[in-house]
Amino acid sequence: MDKELEKAFSAWKERYKEEFKKERKPEAEFLSEAGIPFKRVYTPLDLEEKNFNYINDLGLPGDFPYTRGRTPIEFRGEPWAQSLYSGYGSPAESNALWKEAFKTGVETIYIAYDLPTQLGLDPGQPMTHGEVGRIGVSMTTQRDWEVAFDGIDMNRVRISHVPNAVAAFQMANLICLAEKKGANLNRLQGHCHNDILKEYTVRGNYIFPPDPSMRLTIDVVSYCRKVLPQYLTLSVTGLHFSEAQSTTIHEAAFMLADLFCYLEEALKRGLDIDDIAPCVELSTQIDHYTFFEEIAKHRAIRRLYARVMKERFNAKKPESLKARIGASQGGNSLQKKQYLNNIGRTAVAAVAATLAGVERLSIRPYDEQYGIPTKEAMMTATRLKYVVTKETDLLDTVDPLGGSYFIEWLTSEFEERISREIATIEQQGGALKCVENGYIKQMLIQDAYAWQKDFESGKKIRVGNNYATTEEQEKPTRVYRTDPKVEQERIDAVQDVKRWRNNEKVKKCLDEIKRVAALPASEENNLMPYIMEAVKCYATNGEVAGVLKEVWGEYSPASIF
Amino acid sequence: MNRKIRVLMAKVGLDGHDRGALVITMALRDAGMEVIYTGLHQSPAQIARIAIQEAVDVVGISSLVDAHMTFIPQVLKEFKKLNIEMPIILGGFIQPEDIKELKDIGVNEVFGINTRLDEIVEYIKNLAARKQDSSLTY
Repeated sequence: MDKELEKAFSAWKERYKEEFKKERKPEAEFLSEAGIPFKRVYTPLDLEEKNFNYINDLGLPGDFPYTRGRTPIEFRGEPWAQSLYSGYGSPAESNALWKEAFKTGVETIYIAYDLPTQLGLDPGQPMTHGEVGRIGVSMTTQRDWEVAFDGIDMNRVRISHVPNAVAAFQMANLICLAEKKGANLNRLQGHCHNDILKEYTVRGNYIFPPDPSMRLTIDVVSYCRKVLPQYLTLSVTGLHFSEAQSTTIHEAAFMLADLFCYLEEALKRGLDIDDIAPCVELSTQIDHYTFFEEIAKHRAIRRLYARVMKERFNAKKPESLKARIGASQGGNSLQKKQYLNNIGRTAVAAVAATLAGVERLSIRPYDEQYGIPTKEAMMTATRLKYVVTKETDLLDTVDPLGGSYFIEWLTSEFEERISREIATIEQQGGALKCVENGYIKQMLIQDAYAWQKDFESGKKIRVGNNYATTEEQEKPTRVYRTDPKVEQERIDAVQDVKRWRNNEKVKKCLDEIKRVAALPASEENNLMPYIMEAVKCYATNGEVAGVLKEVWGEYSPASIF
Repeated sequence: MNRKIRVLMAKVGLDGHDRGALVITMALRDAGMEVIYTGLHQSPAQIARIAIQEAVDVVGISSLVDAHMTFIPQVLKEFKKLNIEMPIILGGFIQPEDIKELKDIGVNEVFGINTRLDEIVEYIKNLAARKQDSSLTY
């Protein structure tokens, strides 16, 4: 113990005890969003309490345990990549939107699909009326992919998407199109949200029961690692937990518990951890109101990931130990009232992401609370990257907050709390079991309800909502809403494909998928080559999902409420 | 009023967002009501069927994907088919320009993403009290 500092610190507390009474709230109420007590000031004594050791806990940037970053130079090389989650109703409209976005410097097409697409339903199928093209682009055949990417060089941009339950179909479509366009598959980049577990607990877009769904997840990863070596096919998300207003601790713990579940499944299949790890991306949330929590959370995730990959999964290659993190600002952190304040919120979040050292960042357009963002708001979000990365000195030093007594204490605190929560899940049998027994869902409901009560009591402040409020209704001049005509156009487009394709060949492909789906999950029975064949013949996603439902059935959740 | 107020909290269509529906379910229960939550991906016909089976006083529908102008008329039609007058409340992400039309076709109230929980609790209490009073007079 640093006796001299301890003495000085005690004396300081005694000397200023009257001053402390002037603090704006009682000491016990200085809590972070996740309920961590924030102390008045941090000193080396706090790091002693955590048994902090520079080499073990931090290391140098690019060195184990990667707390300070995956690379030795971080943003002194390239800044984080900007992605913009977007998609308008039809493939043609989205094509025009993405081409325009490139002109302003967007580097990633981050496809937002409509709900029927995410659920493996073609336009015109039951339950799809009113939902086609509504919250994203409708893309259910290879023909749709051809239209959406017309005139776009697939090697010049990253192509990312959020298909989850339909990851196998959409990755097959992506590969099929890239081959046809003569793109270099070895250089194709992007990431695929291929994370079905959180669909059961928080996002709600599931099709099949968990076991066959886990099989499809691993089929995609295993097949694509050989065909698309640079593409991240196992993007596992925490952000949806945060979007549902979970604490940052729950977000990180649920995300990592889900990931470990996929890794175990892949190992059971006989795959090598060092082959799978390079496909992993962690998709996290960054919010302005949890500024320091976000920085500590991301540093703790990198350290925890490295330790678990090494100690539990016995990964050997350094590449396998480095967490790759793509962050998104949460839509729930933006406010509808006084919506221009959202530009300030996105800027603070972008600074947090920079200090946290993420590889990719998706910044929210300021009018998203009013609907699908307008182009103007999307372009402002894009340009915010340049304000943060070109106008400031934020990029010039690696992990600039590293060594701060506060940040290091908080990073250790996060690692401990996340590990404890993961242990709680593993004690119940892991993430898949916690889907079934409702544990994760219950935690999420508790978090969300507690937050809402704190917000309504005024403990949590949102400017324009419960602070500095104004009477007049503000509204952006334009709100994008999907043209109702899109639905019929999309129904016609699918019918059109069914007219000119070789229907006999399609049937053969679908029969093959059905046959293999009934066989046990294994490397030999990987469904991806069969789905690729079907997609090449212009089978629709609805048809592929249809035959799989015949074999596997559909998921209906146990009532937990 | 002896009987507890019974509410059906419903999700219609493909929308997977359930945080709002679940948080409001918690708040209504804390206010002493009995709440039945349908779970995700229900059809309009299923909503009407469950509402009748469970003998609820009010149906609350949560929508966050802008599909309500399609499915709300369908839900109303299902109740009409069964000749049941059921108070319907819509909540979630609703464009302001839709509200008048929704009320014209028979939705009792539309709450937005910024509505306070106590406001919703109060509204449902009044609505259910009016409904139970009026049924007594027959």
